[in-house]
Amino acid sequence: MLTLGRTVALPVHRVALVTACALLVLTAVAAVATLSLGRLGIPLAELGSALTGGAEGKNAFVLERLRGPRLVVALGTGCALGVSGALFQSATRNPLGSPDVIGLGAGAGAGAAFAALLLPGVVPVPVGALLGAVLAMGLVYVSTGTGFRNPARLVVAGIGVAAMCTAVTQYVVYAMERDKASTLSAYVNGSLSARSWDDATTIWVVVLCTAPLVALISRRLSIGEMGDDIAQGLGAGPRNTKTYAVVLAIVLSAGAVSVAGPIAFIALTAPQISQRITRLPGPHLLLSSLTGALLLVLADLCAQQLPLFENLPVGIYTMAIGGAYLGYLLMSERRKGAL
Amino acid sequence: MTTVTSVPPSSTTRSGAARRAYALVIGLALLTVTLFASVMIGSRPTSLGDVLDVLSGTADIQVTTIVESRYPRTALGVLAGLALAVAGTLMQGVTRNALAEPGLLGINAGASASIVTATAFWGVTGNTAVMWWALPGALVAGIAVQAIGSVGSSKSQVRLVLAGAVLSAVLMAYIQAVTLSKPQVFDSYRYWVVGALGGRDFDVLQAMLPFAAAGLVLALLLGQSLNALALGDATAASLGVNPWLVRGAGLLAATVLSAAATAAVGPIAFVGLAVPHIVRAVVGVDFRWQIVFSAVAGPTLLLMADIAGRVVMRPQELMVGIVTAFVGAPALLVAVRRMRGNA
Repeated sequence: MLTLGRTVALPVHRVALVTACALLVLTAVAAVATLSLGRLGIPLAELGSALTGGAEGKNAFVLERLRGPRLVVALGTGCALGVSGALFQSATRNPLGSPDVIGLGAGAGAGAAFAALLLPGVVPVPVGALLGAVLAMGLVYVSTGTGFRNPARLVVAGIGVAAMCTAVTQYVVYAMERDKASTLSAYVNGSLSARSWDDATTIWVVVLCTAPLVALISRRLSIGEMGDDIAQGLGAGPRNTKTYAVVLAIVLSAGAVSVAGPIAFIALTAPQISQRITRLPGPHLLLSSLTGALLLVLADLCAQQLPLFENLPVGIYTMAIGGAYLGYLLMSERRKGAL
Repeated sequence: MTTVTSVPPSSTTRSGAARRAYALVIGLALLTVTLFASVMIGSRPTSLGDVLDVLSGTADIQVTTIVESRYPRTALGVLAGLALAVAGTLMQGVTRNALAEPGLLGINAGASASIVTATAFWGVTGNTAVMWWALPGALVAGIAVQAIGSVGSSKSQVRLVLAGAVLSAVLMAYIQAVTLSKPQVFDSYRYWVVGALGGRDFDVLQAMLPFAAAGLVLALLLGQSLNALALGDATAASLGVNPWLVRGAGLLAATVLSAAATAAVGPIAFVGLAVPHIVRAVVGVDFRWQIVFSAVAGPTLLLMADIAGRVVMRPQELMVGIVTAFVGAPALLVAVRRMRGNA
């Protein structure tokens, strides 16, 4: 409990508060590194004045055109994905219930590819991605027959839908000219390169508009963690709560997809990591969002600075690391036999 | 192992044997029809009479060229379909998991990663070399998925599939990283990954043949032991069958088969999943029959998918890997709806 005087008492765990502060500091460090590292980076000495509006020449260009918007998009997208994953995992009460595992990314990729090949210039690629993601989720929802409740069905249905969507994407990549195909292939892995302030605005509008709703639902969800019966007894109808949570989660992921493409596994890992650090019961929405932002900024830092492969889309890094983490999770998840 | 004479009770009954003999005749007839259809149908259709003329050597040169140009893809379809289907049957038998399949369990992804590595960093070309390169990746991926999927107490079928999806994701990240940073490899990769039978010549077939033959022979040799294994490890051991040896050999055969198919025609999903289910429904639980039937039904299914791909978007073609994804995934979704509880 956080108390201010005698009258204000906010239900905040001390651990959560400390963790949140630590995450903010780490994110700030990662953000500074993103802006200042590398050949084009703004030197640390000039960064302060650049951020307060005193940037000139190269620094101004880097801050306003190159890395500034990219960083702000990464922060917003990471937040959105983190919250989305936490909502999903809370609603399905399964650590693997995540938009990635159930094919949202693949759906977005297929939608993007479809828009790029069949309706070039008519439907913007991000809009295609958005539609693809929503359509894939609808397909998964229908094909499970039990909605989003049964995790085993969710996973298998997700794999099926993902396989179909990947086939579409691969066909389009096959059918296009090489350069366009290469660009599209990068986008469908989730990319943050060449983002504009418009993208930054889009994702932050999505995050900020859903924030109040997420806050509203978080309390009902945490009651839901106690089990459906108790939640029913406390007047928080579990079924509606779950549906709202999943819908919100899809809106957030879809927002992220529309600015950055389907970035893999942030939504899956962020809630898990924050939960493991704090050992709080159930996914914590705020901490998940902060962790998501930190993870994505770090991944994007790798994408920009690692010399091994140049200019890879950030989604490849998150896919590799998140996939390995998911494998670890799968091996350690032996207690409940949730899957 | 010769002491195990009649493991599944149904295999001894006369009506069961007759039913299977019928089914085999029908299956072979269906395969023959599909073979003819495969050399008949294409962007320039020919009639059955034309094909018969070509076979008897009386057709004119133009028709002969058209029909004969479809021989390699048809033969490749037979071999790849056989390999994938038998691999799926073996894997479902070994893991006792109805969702086991080389594609879903990451073996195709392992083979793909291996091939991409070999072409990108060592400039490996040539069909036989690529086959050999596909093997280690497929083997490592297969073992890794089994290891990840079987840790812990849960005996769920979904675990293994999820482990396969996880490993495939990581390998895909690697493949994308390599292909996107090497335009030349990206170009050949995007043509290969869609899974196409067309546009390949007899060389691929020659390279694949020994691997497919080895895998099939091993599978046929294992049939009896797999029957014993289906009764449980303890019973199998009491019948003189070493369960771990059979599992290992079964997975090895499945890996060789699917790696060869992947190297030859690209990663093709769902054939290995669907065929064993169809085959079990027709011939029952005896693995010797299941393997023989898979070897007939797999080619039929893959060729049908390939023919469908040639017809639906005429004059363009839809690659067979895409057709199988679009037919197989809904089948998987229907199976999901039938799953009870947490399966």
